[in-house]
Amino acid sequence: MRPIQFLLVGLLGAGVCFYFARLRTRLIDRSLVLLTAVAGVVLIAVPEWSTELAALFGVGRGVDLIIYVGLFLLAFVCLLLYARIRALQGRLTDLVRAGAIRDARRPERLRIAAPDQRPAHAA
Amino acid sequence: MNGANASVFVVVAAYNEGRVIRSTLEPLIGAGYSVVVVDDGSRDDTSSVLAQLPVYSLRHLINLGQGAALQTGMAFALRQEAEYVVHFDADGQHRMADIPVLLEPLVKGEADVVLGSRFLKREHREAVPEKRRLVLRVARFINLLFTGVWLTDAHNGFRALTRAAAARIALRENGYAHASEILSQIARQKLRYVERPTAIAYTDYSRAKGQPLSNAFNIVLDLVLRGLFR
Repeated sequence: MRPIQFLLVGLLGAGVCFYFARLRTRLIDRSLVLLTAVAGVVLIAVPEWSTELAALFGVGRGVDLIIYVGLFLLAFVCLLLYARIRALQGRLTDLVRAGAIRDARRPERLRIAAPDQRPAHAA
Repeated sequence: MNGANASVFVVVAAYNEGRVIRSTLEPLIGAGYSVVVVDDGSRDDTSSVLAQLPVYSLRHLINLGQGAALQTGMAFALRQEAEYVVHFDADGQHRMADIPVLLEPLVKGEADVVLGSRFLKREHREAVPEKRRLVLRVARFINLLFTGVWLTDAHNGFRALTRAAAARIALRENGYAHASEILSQIARQKLRYVERPTAIAYTDYSRAKGQPLSNAFNIVLDLVLRGLFR
């Protein structure tokens, strides 16, 4: 592997991390997915372009480039789904917690009254 | 009932602890602490046992995790005007006698959070099983890396907080990673924390049930992911 490849992978990895930690918006998420999907479709439809593009990036074959793009898309979508699951879990927790607090049982009703507090008619 | 202890709310998260929960709670009740038990969607008779005890009893309709149960208990305790909140294990591993030890720095105003440690006194340290002791020693460094907090015991569920400190903690980790999340929040909120020696009673019951060491990997993973997906 050439140094430039390490650098690009590192930058891409850092970029993805930074994106998820700070920059994410729904619009960008969807744009990225759409963009990658469109790119994938175009490259499959016009294979010659993929070969030319691959040469440009220093990748051996057009197919390889498509695979790289596809893998990136897959990983990205997985992370998006994970983020969504976490958000859902948070909301579920809030819901269950609200119910638990609302229906809380208090200890007072189980405390046995002192003799002088018992109702007069009790034996 | 001891009025002074009533402002100390002992929060117990319980999941399928029907067998031991009564013996864990009765001493606490007897000492006059206000006891808040959160039944985290137990599938055994935990709930029916709780119904017979004079405690505050809350129930998650589904199992969310120990972190979630603790947070629910804390939020509830604060609503009941708790002065101090204590985290106490449901399985009898913690000793009630250590509660005043944890509360002392809070009452004196020396700290906002007090964390129990098995490694401050030799007899406590030696009671910890060999393998677990080793893992916990390593965990200290990982904990420092992720939370910026250095503790002699990075994974001890026995804690005491002042009302103000508890109000500033909002756990979002539902599972075991909550222990590290509490520490991160303590650091971020700049709360004053100290450790105090506490014992852990390793009974056959708790040993069998205890956290599998593989959870260590899960906890680290949770921490990394939490860093990414705020």
